[in-house]
Amino acid sequence: MENPEKAAADLVYRSCLLMDQKKFEEYFALCADDFRYTITAYSPEAKVDMIWMDEDKASLKRTLDVLPRHNSDHSPLSRHVTVYTVDYDAAQKKARVVSALQVFRTSLDGGETQLFAVAKYYDVIALFGSEARLTERIVRLETRMLGLGSHIPF
Amino acid sequence: MGRNESAFQEKPDFPASHYVDTRIYTDPDIFKEEQERIFKKVWMIACHESELPNAYDYRTYQHPGGVNLFVIRGEDLKVRCFYNFCTHRGNTLLYDPAGNAKYITCIFHMWSFDSRGNADTITREKEGYQDRLCKDKLSLREVKTELDFSGMVWVNLDDASIDLGSYLGEALDYLKDELSAEPLEVFHYHRAIVDTNYKLWHDTNSEIYHDFVHYHNRKTGMMQKGYFDRKFHCFPHGHGYLESMEIRYDAYEGVEGQRRLEWPKAPTACHKFIDLFPGITYNLRSPTFRLDTMIPLSATKVMIEFRGLAPKSDSPEQRRQRIKDYIGIWGPFGRNVHEDLLAVTGQARALAGVKSYLLHAREEGFNSHDEIGMRHFYEEWSRLMNRRSSGPYVPSEPGCVPDQQR
Repeated sequence: MENPEKAAADLVYRSCLLMDQKKFEEYFALCADDFRYTITAYSPEAKVDMIWMDEDKASLKRTLDVLPRHNSDHSPLSRHVTVYTVDYDAAQKKARVVSALQVFRTSLDGGETQLFAVAKYYDVIALFGSEARLTERIVRLETRMLGLGSHIPF
Repeated sequence: MGRNESAFQEKPDFPASHYVDTRIYTDPDIFKEEQERIFKKVWMIACHESELPNAYDYRTYQHPGGVNLFVIRGEDLKVRCFYNFCTHRGNTLLYDPAGNAKYITCIFHMWSFDSRGNADTITREKEGYQDRLCKDKLSLREVKTELDFSGMVWVNLDDASIDLGSYLGEALDYLKDELSAEPLEVFHYHRAIVDTNYKLWHDTNSEIYHDFVHYHNRKTGMMQKGYFDRKFHCFPHGHGYLESMEIRYDAYEGVEGQRRLEWPKAPTACHKFIDLFPGITYNLRSPTFRLDTMIPLSATKVMIEFRGLAPKSDSPEQRRQRIKDYIGIWGPFGRNVHEDLLAVTGQARALAGVKSYLLHAREEGFNSHDEIGMRHFYEEWSRLMNRRSSGPYVPSEPGCVPDQQR
């Protein structure tokens, strides 16, 4: 791959655009078969590291497939991401990418936008041939007060 | 055909115990009265003892009566609770939500207190006060504190209150075996501040007729054998519980298979919950346990605390599975809590500016969809408030017990 750092960063940005648009199938197309998705946070109140989502590709897909049968808040989420660092390991053909993430929520009724969450992505991206695939995404939340919460992952 | 305003305000054709006036959920004056007559009088849960494992560990607590407290484990390992209030100039003593402090030192003028609430050090005491100061009169305001068998730390602002055992009676016994089998610890804590009245959240926890809002619960519970055989049981002081059933998690296509991990002394995949007046729920969906506690902030805003607890003895694999089972429906990204919160904020939005009545009138032999849990809650609410929940602005007769319960 000619520019693995750029390919890795592009993948992070593309994943956010697809999740914003709820194009889940296209999102999963960016993920490796052994993809793992985790949302974590630390509680200074209870002094515990917490896991708030813990899925592999199949279970995340099941979760999202069944969503239309659930009652959900339909306010769109916008993921604003900035790639901070890309550490490419040429031997492993993997990049570790750290990005800042802000998630904004826009109400359907009136269109008011509010900051919903602040977090970091810790991604592992496999790069082979001309392709890049997300193999791990850890969303490390700073924000722990999420109001109604969300049926859609970050 | 819709109704005009006059018809909309007519009382329902049910006994007064079977409906409530909508304004009990929106009136700021009623909320202030609830703080005085209910929250400052009853036992509330501040935290779990595992949040204070060592001597001098503390945890702050925003009490729904309107005062800020902290709970601290003393050098004698006893758990005590105090106002988070410096007796000098009223500053907050402990700013962090949790920590460890052998001496609790105010940042403002460095007065310090020990873990029993005694005033220990007063900076430049002699120079400023000479011999005019009695330290005993500067100790912290202590709040009554007791632990239940599961390790929950209960506090009561009312020095004259009945003890915790008398307040709970036998209401917690339905989970006594499960919650006292092994020491527990908190693995999950999150809060949600939502625009609704606290009673609407407790109503939701008190009736599972609202399982219709949950696709997960319809599939795994309502459509399964035994769901409608569950009976609700009432206890003094507004508490109650619903009997258990085996939940068929494998009937929901969003997960893979039935729950397999056990909770000590609990039936596999059971669902037991206990609602405690005025806003606490113990909820065991084996193999995971959730505690809801509420801190009402106004008539139309509430902070809900969600704690997940697990046996301390869990192996890493067991804990990971327990967490997974918990967060799938109860975490901020889970299926059910989001739907519940959506529903109660929708209620609050609809209730704004409306004077009418809400029905609590389902009678199905105390089974899952009977609304006895809410009727039982409002009987206690009416007694403590000396107002009928069905007609809160009609003066009650002195000593009158509201006609709430059939």
